[in-house]
Amino acid sequence: MDLVKIFLLALLVNNVVVMRFLALCSYVGMTSDVGQSVGMGFAVTFVTVLATAATWPIYHFVLVPLNLTFLQILIFILVIASLVQLVEFYLKKNVPGLYSAMGIYLPLITTNCAILAITFENISFKYTFIQSISYSVGGSLGYLLAMVLLAGIRDRIRTSPVPKFLEGTPILFIATALIGIAFMGFSGLIK
Amino acid sequence: MKKLYSVFKQGIIYENPLLMLMIGLCSAIAVTTNVSNGIGMGLAMTFVLLFSEIIISLFRKVIPSAVRIPVFIIVIAAFTTMVDLVMKAYFPDLSKSMGVFIPLIVVNCIIMGRVEAFASKQKLAAVIADSLGMGLGYTWVLIGIAAVRELLGNGTFAGLQVMPDSFQPILFFILPPGGFFVFGLFISFNIWLKKRMEVTARARELAARKEAA
Amino acid sequence: MKKEMTKLGITLALFASLACASLAVVYSFTKDRIERQNEIQLNASLKELFPEATVFEPVEGLASSDPGVKFEAAYAIRTDSAPLGMAVKAKGQSYGGDAVLLIGVDLRRSIVGVRVMELKDTPGLGANATNPGYFVDKAKKLTFPGQFAGKYLTDPFEVKKDVIAITASTITSRSLTNIIKKTGDAIVAYMDQMAVVAPAAGETTDNVAADSQNQAGGK
Repeated sequence: MDLVKIFLLALLVNNVVVMRFLALCSYVGMTSDVGQSVGMGFAVTFVTVLATAATWPIYHFVLVPLNLTFLQILIFILVIASLVQLVEFYLKKNVPGLYSAMGIYLPLITTNCAILAITFENISFKYTFIQSISYSVGGSLGYLLAMVLLAGIRDRIRTSPVPKFLEGTPILFIATALIGIAFMGFSGLIK
Repeated sequence: MKKLYSVFKQGIIYENPLLMLMIGLCSAIAVTTNVSNGIGMGLAMTFVLLFSEIIISLFRKVIPSAVRIPVFIIVIAAFTTMVDLVMKAYFPDLSKSMGVFIPLIVVNCIIMGRVEAFASKQKLAAVIADSLGMGLGYTWVLIGIAAVRELLGNGTFAGLQVMPDSFQPILFFILPPGGFFVFGLFISFNIWLKKRMEVTARARELAARKEAA
Repeated sequence: MKKEMTKLGITLALFASLACASLAVVYSFTKDRIERQNEIQLNASLKELFPEATVFEPVEGLASSDPGVKFEAAYAIRTDSAPLGMAVKAKGQSYGGDAVLLIGVDLRRSIVGVRVMELKDTPGLGANATNPGYFVDKAKKLTFPGQFAGKYLTDPFEVKKDVIAITASTITSRSLTNIIKKTGDAIVAYMDQMAVVAPAAGETTDNVAADSQNQAGGK
């Protein structure tokens, strides 16, 4: 499978949020305005790619040779958690501009299931390192895309009449269902 | 005993993790394309929740608060891995159809949330009541969503044909957008239910007060 | 301060090593079964395809003509006295990734049955290939893999013509059909080369219709 195909598959056809239901907590929680959703989206993209670059070698060069693959879940979550900490320290010290834009989202990322799911799937789909990177970039940009879409829709919903029984969170899920139907159209994109 | 029961009850409707607290949603919608998946996921989740809460509650006095989060993660990850291994060994079909969502129990916010907010402060008995209540609250919603989706989307219930042959399954419900749609309606239903229960509770209170006067 | 840090470190290390140790225990209990799981599943499927068979003998030397379809294992299947056919576990590309199929061919050069061992696809669409309750032909209760039972490899194997597609999943249907056809062809070529024939060769033409109906109804 070539890299572009993996990328598009992860970005659109199997979009992590609207098709795979990953990272819904932040999808509902962090999309009340567009700026915030973009910040969160980029922070996730950044950490996902880093996490992939870290966990793939760990799995293939440490866990497999040592026959410790059953520790995969434990190791991966700890790697991601410490990676997030490191990135936070580094940005705070060296890139304060970026930190002020992205920093507040970082602690929330450790429990973002999209990141963990992508790092697991890189292994279970038996991707090579380069393919894994392509998959993680596609997947996390797909997350960004879904976040921005919902944030935009929420802006509109605020000024629109919503059926009384759907007010609040229910309407967000109905809207997501509609986005999902639109995304189904991408399924013909890949042969 | 009464206190334990009220703790247990919280998770089922008032503080239902999925419908009211809106956490741990991912697995709830993703695996509910059929009822057996819903039951499997609900049990797996309850298992991890119960044992993580028990361990944390037992050791709550010796875990220094500075490292409590990493310790929680380690404990939860360990129990998740156990569930994953056992399912792979004894329920391979279920494990395959849920795929990555079993390992993802580790980042399920319900567990982290309950461990941090409840188990790290409470005694064993309360913790068991809480985790069973939350687990049951999670499981019933999963089975409910799965039942609606499987029945309408495939005409079956837990794999058994129940709809008449003439029924044309509505594909929409079993596809991802259908999951979001059904879930949205479930939330709306739960909000209504909660409001009604509050109204009746208040009415009962008023009546009791009147009687006393 | 330093003492405090050591204490934190020790607590963490203690929990981590306890977790690893308990996992190692659980792993050692489940390991064998997990590793045997594929084998158990494969054996069960082989037995389903050839219920009367007693010997499943692994064979080498089957070559795939299509670089996209790989053969993971091949078996010559016999009763104690007579050959029955062959089965091949083949892996090929499908819509969401690799698909692994088990394809059985009998001596009449027709497909006995197809089992989908592994498939990653969208629930409700392509994943219906593994759903025992999803029928491509509702009247005959034929599942997607089930419709191949009794089909001769001389048939065209064209989706939407002689192969019924899964609703809204033409790509999955096509890729799976392609794997089945390529594998079946390779098995037939191998059988011809090894001169594996049915005891009574006259059967091939007469019983076609009756057989294919029987087999289709059963699966």
